[in-house]
Amino acid sequence: MTKLPLDGIRVADFSWFGAGPIGAQTLATFGAEVIRIESEAKLDSLRLAGPFALNPDGTPKSSYNVSGYFNNFNAGKLSMQLNLNVERGQEIAYRLIENSDIFLTNFTPRVVDKWNLRYEQLAAINPRLIAAYAPMQGLEGPHRDFLGFGAVLTPVTGISQMSGFRNRPPFGIGTNYPDYVINPGHSCVAILAALRYRNRTGKGQCVELPQVESVVNALGTAVADYLANGTVQTRTGNRNPVASPHGALPCTSDPESVGSTDRWIAIACYDEAQWRALCDVLGATELSGEARFATFAARKANEDELESTLGVLTAAWNAEELMAALQAKDVPAGVVQNAQDMLDRDPHMKARGYYQFLDHPETGLAAYDGPSAVLSVTPGRHRSPAPLLGEHTLDVCQRIIGLDMDEIATLLAEGVLV
Amino acid sequence: MADKSLQGLRVVEFTDELGSYCGRLLADLGAEVVKVEPPGGGRERHTPPFYHTVAPGPDTSLAFWVHNTSKKSVVLDLESVRGQAQARALALSADVVLEDNPVGYMAAHALGYESLRLERPALVYTSITGFGQTGPHARYAYSDIVGQAMAGVMTLAGEPADPPNMIYGQQANVSASIQAAQATLLAVLHAEATGEGQLVDVSAQEAQSMNQETAMQQWDLQKTNRKRTGEKGALPLPLPGLGVYPTTDGYVMCFVIAPAGAGFPVLVDWMREKGMADDLDDEPYKDVCENLNFGFFTQVASDPVRGAAVIPHLAHVNQLVTAFFASMTATEAYEEGQRRLLLHGIVSTPKDLAENAQLRARNWFAQLEFDYLNAVIEFPGAPYRLSETPVQIGRPPRLGEHTDEVFASLTRAAGGRTK
Repeated sequence: MTKLPLDGIRVADFSWFGAGPIGAQTLATFGAEVIRIESEAKLDSLRLAGPFALNPDGTPKSSYNVSGYFNNFNAGKLSMQLNLNVERGQEIAYRLIENSDIFLTNFTPRVVDKWNLRYEQLAAINPRLIAAYAPMQGLEGPHRDFLGFGAVLTPVTGISQMSGFRNRPPFGIGTNYPDYVINPGHSCVAILAALRYRNRTGKGQCVELPQVESVVNALGTAVADYLANGTVQTRTGNRNPVASPHGALPCTSDPESVGSTDRWIAIACYDEAQWRALCDVLGATELSGEARFATFAARKANEDELESTLGVLTAAWNAEELMAALQAKDVPAGVVQNAQDMLDRDPHMKARGYYQFLDHPETGLAAYDGPSAVLSVTPGRHRSPAPLLGEHTLDVCQRIIGLDMDEIATLLAEGVLV
Repeated sequence: MADKSLQGLRVVEFTDELGSYCGRLLADLGAEVVKVEPPGGGRERHTPPFYHTVAPGPDTSLAFWVHNTSKKSVVLDLESVRGQAQARALALSADVVLEDNPVGYMAAHALGYESLRLERPALVYTSITGFGQTGPHARYAYSDIVGQAMAGVMTLAGEPADPPNMIYGQQANVSASIQAAQATLLAVLHAEATGEGQLVDVSAQEAQSMNQETAMQQWDLQKTNRKRTGEKGALPLPLPGLGVYPTTDGYVMCFVIAPAGAGFPVLVDWMREKGMADDLDDEPYKDVCENLNFGFFTQVASDPVRGAAVIPHLAHVNQLVTAFFASMTATEAYEEGQRRLLLHGIVSTPKDLAENAQLRARNWFAQLEFDYLNAVIEFPGAPYRLSETPVQIGRPPRLGEHTDEVFASLTRAAGGRTK
């Protein structure tokens, strides 16, 4: 079997919630041995958050191990229980970190301090260590100890203000968006770059990823426009400055979309050929030549009217059929899909086999997000489903930390390995 | 000068708005990234906003700037035989080729992976497209909003009465670029260890799937779809201390009754100090305020008797909370709220971010010198800090700025090899 890029790399994953664990999961997918440190004394809340696997009678299962939210971010990892509130727990943590290549945490700086996990402390025991910290606001600064999680990060980083329709308050985008790709993706990029540097020089280093800074870096032109031009942009709904029409238009509802039956299609016309093709497909060829819509400038000037006129036409279409008809004419168009589509109905997602189905002892067979890219020679994969809480405590203690059974029994009795 | 983590890595990119942020991430970490652009530049160079002091043009687009820092630019006409040959020579000088063209375009221009790898087996070749290199939709026309729609992200955003909302900032492109940067570096590590290159196939649709949060698992485990719930969220009625509140100059987002941070009584203390608690210290409101959190609400909502005793009073409490936040600035609601350990987030405007006390104290912003504009322009800073190999953000290139330089050094290198 081909070697994976991170074979032989060990990750001490002291992270929780979304942003940290997803980054570590990517490292596991591409070969790293990732040891997720958890404790019932300070449980990752995602283990307690739905959606949960269901019992045959339709009631949710009740256990630390059946959350789809948690499991999807932790596949392929080992889970070790360790109570860092006790001194012996911190000693064991050091022994694991001593034997690791990468350390990752998104605990607040206050907790990092309390548990003696600061970079200079870890570098003293393992100078080759790449230690990555991903607190919300950064390790230093006047807001260092501000509280927050993804739901706070979305407004603070400007995403809420800049997204959605102008006539609505900036209530956000329905998810804790930055947690899932931006923060963990940036973390991985930085860690992998640091790994390359270590390969070249033998030196470890400290990686700091303040979640706010990570997101604002990826926020398009909003902040740059203010800094460079003094312009304060605000949200403009689904519009785009260089395309028109550009938005989501209604289609016939879909009674088979469980719990979400309204149906929409996203359409973007960047040039006149796409605009004319759209009108042709909708059976309204004459529309493209009408003065109010005939040029890009005219469509921009009458965009409300444009959208309502087109909406009347698209509303008669099945979304998939309209997408196929528009795509046949090279018009960028896509159904506003739901999760049912992504998993079960989109023939393209199916054909590419993105989702990975893993048999988990408590949830049964369940879907996991697969690797975020297809690498032709070293395709990543989840080697196992998410671990049960503490499933590998014994294995890690013996094999990696080098404890014998008597020592382990003592640590269990003293409440260290809980 | 400090070492750079991607020093010595040569990237040649053929990207426009979908993949350019990927190249930027690599360039800021120290890779030499040469961007090959068509005559006149691609769409991103012509996307507003533009820098205000001169006429709009390919060298003044902020949309281009924020995704193309630290790169070099060469202009080649890939439709000409000469341009194609030069592009191929350039691609064969690279450790990484990065491209975001429609499937088949690169191969049709003598730049496909299969043909380059024969001459350069260690080449990492990253293709970013809307839907990936294979599958029935591989050749579908893509744009950012189409990507957000098809990936199950838009369906979760917005008011139920409105069309689904797109997320600001070309987020399908950004997600694809970030995942591509990560995957490219994995392939680079492999190539540097083994001499073996590979094709990295990034689909923007797949790259965003994780952004569905729990929707995928909810369908998988429970066979229902999450849908957009707008301002109210999943709650049956507005709860005091939860959600977005107007302030004198903007908005603050509150999660006071969430199971973290100080609780609702601390907010009432603050209101009282400001003389705005009104009758919240009197029954029936006192009891509600002392107990109000998610758990309490869930309990009373499921008990008709207690529900009837509590729920009718919530609107009045919320009115006072609304009036309280309306009396202060968003920054005060955020910073003073956080000082009191209340879970508050400012709904930052771009100006708020530019003035954010934390970002300023951390010297986060970068100062880039634009010699050709006679200006030093401030940019948002890097996503991360690496202690040994600091990120350095360099000015984005003018269109074709490095064409002569890049080809002169390429010719020298070729000459060197034949000697």
